[in-house]
Amino acid sequence: MAAADNTSAALRRRDLCSRGIRLAGKMRSDVIDLLDTYVERQGLDASASVASVEGVPAAAVERWDEQTGTQRLLENLAAYRAFRALLAQMLEEQQEQLGEADAALGRALAAVLLQVSAFTYHLEELLRLESRGPPSEEGAEPPPAAHLSLFERKLRGLGVLRELAQWAVRSTRDLRQLAKPSPGSSSAASLAESP
Amino acid sequence: MRWSVRRQLPAGKQPSALLVPSLGKGEGFLEAGGLRSRPGAKMANPVPSACCVVLAAVVVVYAQRHSQQESHIQYERVGADVTMKCGSMDWDAAVTWMANGTDIDASHLNGSYLILKNVNLTQSGQYSCYEGSSWHLKYQTHLRVGTPPKEPLLMCRSNNYPKGFYCSWHLPTPTYIPNSFNISVIHGTREMVCEKDVFPKNRCHIRYLQLFSTVKYKVTLTVTNALGKNSTTATFDEFAIVKPDPPESVVAKPVPNNPRRLEVSWQNPSSWPDPESFPLKFFLRYRPLILDQWQHVELSDGTSHTITDAYAGKEYIIQVAAKDNDIGTWSDWSVAVHATPWTEEPKHLTTEAQVTETTSASTSSFMPPPTTKICDKGAVVGSGAVAVCWTAGLVLAAYGVLFI
Repeated sequence: MAAADNTSAALRRRDLCSRGIRLAGKMRSDVIDLLDTYVERQGLDASASVASVEGVPAAAVERWDEQTGTQRLLENLAAYRAFRALLAQMLEEQQEQLGEADAALGRALAAVLLQVSAFTYHLEELLRLESRGPPSEEGAEPPPAAHLSLFERKLRGLGVLRELAQWAVRSTRDLRQLAKPSPGSSSAASLAESP
Repeated sequence: MRWSVRRQLPAGKQPSALLVPSLGKGEGFLEAGGLRSRPGAKMANPVPSACCVVLAAVVVVYAQRHSQQESHIQYERVGADVTMKCGSMDWDAAVTWMANGTDIDASHLNGSYLILKNVNLTQSGQYSCYEGSSWHLKYQTHLRVGTPPKEPLLMCRSNNYPKGFYCSWHLPTPTYIPNSFNISVIHGTREMVCEKDVFPKNRCHIRYLQLFSTVKYKVTLTVTNALGKNSTTATFDEFAIVKPDPPESVVAKPVPNNPRRLEVSWQNPSSWPDPESFPLKFFLRYRPLILDQWQHVELSDGTSHTITDAYAGKEYIIQVAAKDNDIGTWSDWSVAVHATPWTEEPKHLTTEAQVTETTSASTSSFMPPPTTKICDKGAVVGSGAVAVCWTAGLVLAAYGVLFI
């Protein structure tokens, strides 16, 4: 019975990882298209460098190959919860700023927000498989942007989308690591122990 | 006392012979570093002779040191006017200049100065100046004519992601004099170490300390030589420079009994460190040799593919390229392989030919198996029975005709 449960969990995990990889790939593609649209509609320079902004999760990581499966899932989940809130904020600001004048940008933002939400759900499911359960969402709200000028908000939005594009690649790599079968261990243990 | 002058043609940095008066009654003369006497001369007093030897040795050492102090390397630009002074000699001193052991014509002299106008590369070499009467070496220099460096060409690439990347460089035109290169790699506020490769010398590699960073890398290469310096900077994202090496061990072979198929297989480039975690996708192109237009197939996984629309009997050329599944650019094309689809050997109606089907496992053009005649030695096993049947049939038919 226990072995059957483990096999079922392993299959479920592999299925979630595969679908997550496809979702991350589609998300990245859409984010890159959104970046082009955003830069153009907001009148920004595509090569402008954006300093790290408070509240935007950076995808950059050291010793990535040494991370455990749990670390990968927790860091991904925290990042995408933050992106979900940031994109919702951007969507609200965009509607206030441009309203119906730029519905295309609004629709593209909304589509990416939906994908981020779906991916967040995937990560929560993977953590439930680990019998850990996802952590609470306390503190996932982005810092208020009311004190930022219009231009600063635009740059912040650029930073959000760039980091999201990097995260989509990182998540793909992370899920591939998670999907690797661990020799001779249960699914829960392998998820916790796998690098 | 007798003086004797010996003029030596200088070779390299050898000091010239020195004139030292001989002591004693003989007609001998002394050369630097030794005593030599003409045959038949009477023997000199040994004590003064020993002193002369010591004195000569001291003079030789002084001359060597003096000549070495004046020898150095001088770099000049192509087209420059060069003036060489003969060491500490006065302008009006009588001197002889030589270039690579050959006397320089006096038309190039201004007093004791050597004037070379609008120098070119062929004028590189060793220049020596000798005092006129004594033939003492007064000055020596190695003239190297060259150019300051132009802006170098710098290329950075990651063919072993996610381990790191390398940068390589070269000058667009030679300078003809030695150059030194210095490279700096900055990532954000961090300066990274670029470890120079032993071979090739114009390359260094950097290990990634972070992955998935949005911060760009900035690589600055400075080239310096005695005539000037130049530099170039490359700025790029982590993902943008990822370009695997081409796939390896590409093999193409015909599929037995399938005249329109070719089976192609290959391997990941050996430089790609972790294809399981960072899988590659592939692009295959193929065409018959007789046509110019390529067919293309993109493959998201696997390291093999079966071409199903090959023209029967035509030799094909096939290549494969690789790219990381998510980032970067396509590799160069692999080495080309050739293959011809399987073709059925036509049966001969007048002979008892038995075709042996062979499958070629090589990457060379498919060679149809040779046909064999029924009566030949080494005929394929089983053909003898068929021959007997045909022969018997013909004989019976002949009897039938005769007796009917």
